[in-house]
Amino acid sequence: MEKFERKANEEALARREKKKPSPKKNDITLVVEYCKGCGLCVDICPTGTLQLKDNIESKFGVSVNVDAPGYCIGCKMCEQRCPDFAIFVNYEDEEKNEK
Amino acid sequence: MRDYEKYIRYRTFPTPWCPGCGDGVILKAIAMAFSDLKLEPDDIVVVAGIGCSGRTPTFFNTNTLHVTHGRALTFATGIKLARPEKMVVVISGDGDALAIGGNHLIHAARRNIGLNMILINNGIYGMTGGQVSPLTPQKFVTETTPYGNIEPKFMASELLIAARASFVARETVVRFHPLRQVIKKSFQHKGFSVVEVISNCHINLGRRNKMKDPISMTRWIESRSIAKAQYEKLAPEEQNHKYPVGILKEDKERLEYSELYYKHIVPTAQKQDRENKGAK
Amino acid sequence: MSKREVLQGNIIAAKAAVAAGCNFFAGYPITPSSEIAQYMSLELPRLGHDFIQMEDEIASLGACIGASLAGKKVLTATSGPGFSLMQEQLGMAVMAEIPLVIINVMRGGPSTGLPTKPAQSDMMQARWGTHGDHPIIVLYPAFAREIYCETIRAFNLSEQFWNPVIVLLDEVIAKAHEDISIPDQKDISIYTSKETEVEDLNIYDRAIGENPPRVDFFKGYPIHIDGLEHDKHGWPTTDPDTVDRMQTLRMQKIYHYLDEIITYKEYYMDDAEIMIFSFGVSARSALAAVKIAREQGIKLGLFQAKTVWPFPKIVLRERFKRIKKVLTVELNMGQMKYEIERVAPDDVEKKALLRANGIPFTPLEIIAAVKEFKYERL
Repeated sequence: MEKFERKANEEALARREKKKPSPKKNDITLVVEYCKGCGLCVDICPTGTLQLKDNIESKFGVSVNVDAPGYCIGCKMCEQRCPDFAIFVNYEDEEKNEK
Repeated sequence: MRDYEKYIRYRTFPTPWCPGCGDGVILKAIAMAFSDLKLEPDDIVVVAGIGCSGRTPTFFNTNTLHVTHGRALTFATGIKLARPEKMVVVISGDGDALAIGGNHLIHAARRNIGLNMILINNGIYGMTGGQVSPLTPQKFVTETTPYGNIEPKFMASELLIAARASFVARETVVRFHPLRQVIKKSFQHKGFSVVEVISNCHINLGRRNKMKDPISMTRWIESRSIAKAQYEKLAPEEQNHKYPVGILKEDKERLEYSELYYKHIVPTAQKQDRENKGAK
Repeated sequence: MSKREVLQGNIIAAKAAVAAGCNFFAGYPITPSSEIAQYMSLELPRLGHDFIQMEDEIASLGACIGASLAGKKVLTATSGPGFSLMQEQLGMAVMAEIPLVIINVMRGGPSTGLPTKPAQSDMMQARWGTHGDHPIIVLYPAFAREIYCETIRAFNLSEQFWNPVIVLLDEVIAKAHEDISIPDQKDISIYTSKETEVEDLNIYDRAIGENPPRVDFFKGYPIHIDGLEHDKHGWPTTDPDTVDRMQTLRMQKIYHYLDEIITYKEYYMDDAEIMIFSFGVSARSALAAVKIAREQGIKLGLFQAKTVWPFPKIVLRERFKRIKKVLTVELNMGQMKYEIERVAPDDVEKKALLRANGIPFTPLEIIAAVKEFKYERL
């Protein structure tokens, strides 16, 4: 794992420590075949739910993991930020058109 | 299943872009804009030239076209004039839009032909390994400017405004929600619209200039984006380092080219023809 | 009943294009072909069709290809410098199997050259101008009526074979005003490629020698058209077997149909002992030379190639079994003469009458060359 990936993980953990678990349950769907382990979702998650983990099956050796599913607040910023269509939040829900 | 996924051609995945590349984010924003506007996939054609940005059409589940370097706007002009009712989206990168394609860019803008262009500005020629582009900031090191770039960059949006484009906007891949909104707005514009998207190429530009991962390059882009009103208050030396974002120009009054052609040229020609034949 | 008119060669070609169903023209003015663009700018809007003057020749061919993909029959017209600019786009049309017609009115070259003088110096460029292995059909009429018929045939061939077709003219026949009886529209046969059912987005794979099962945009299939080498769906690939198959398919769709594509005209060839091989404006002088020579008792014959590429190798080899002297007459420093040298067996005496100074050959010059059989610059 590269230095910047470790740093993203640390910063995510630091953000998580300041938060509480989310009252509502949110599902996170990962498409591991598309994940390139870039770390943008880990960086943007406001509650530090995600972490990068070494993964020999991933093309780039690293992929995203849902480290603390209870902390996900369903904001979908990871889904928006992901360039690879590799992460979806509450995938079963119909998407509401955002104004 | 998301609504916008019907515009995505998953059969050609995974994408060839580097981990963290902004091109994938733009792909998603465009698909979301198509979905918001409830367009039929078959009524859309996405055209792109050469470069990393040029690979984008492969992943859209619409009619797609991948053409020669710099000429995407010319192919798109032919399609739009032939089928004016269809939606024609053009995706270009630095070189495709402003180096080899610069001439076609200003003419498409001048003509106000109803193409919706997404100009991906990552400040480098990524596909070919990281050479300097007309949008690379000064002093940056690239494969062909190993001692630092001495050429000032184009401000693409401002260039287009001078070329009489009727809708010009700039956004970044970092601010996803505004990006999606402005792309949707540009698609609703009838004439020639351009959204310049500041994107990150950390592998080629960032890596040689102290930002070799997507997250630090994201921070850098964030620090350089500024609202237009605040940009205008800055001194010129400071303006050099910033990109004003938002909708920079919107002219809804100007008629689109093919509309003008079918409203003016064809009826005039047919009227003259009738008069000539009547006079015989 | 078709009426006789006096028309300029450029206008004859333009009228033929409209008669063939051309409904989109994008071009850039260049001497000596600008009249075609001007005629199209008047006529196409009258018919509710599209005309646009683009900012350069590269943009012109780009717009043509885009419109062809959107379902139009397209034409552009240019000359040497513009034709050079168009080469990259032409390659794209060959690669993605897109029909279109380019008229190249040849003038003195290279570079800016002699804008107002004729030449036949783009023969090889028409075949090999664009990079990579590519099949191409190149037609070259010589007489007024041929300009009309070959231009229509160019559209039909491009539709039939899903390939660009180039129509060569030269500054003389394009600018000359000649009398012609334009055929009635009902007497002209137009070919339009048929709509196909596309299965699983396969728009390119088929048996060798067949045409692609391709559709245009907006027919209900989300197809991908690419300048990169592609698989049967059009998606980019570098797999060697796929690439090999695609290259073969593109070549063989044309090379299986040489009998249909190749046309030529022969004059006084039945008992000829000396053959002139020529085309375009040079063929017209050569025809007059043949008639004069025959009166003088010289057994001269003329083989006029109307299709210059693919080269009429098979029929010429037949002629060379009997005729053992050939004179290539071309207004350049030697291009098609190399094809004759390649095709004719060793026992055929081969000569060429060449020059590229902007002055067409006169019949007497050609006869002098035939008599001396010593005139050769190279």
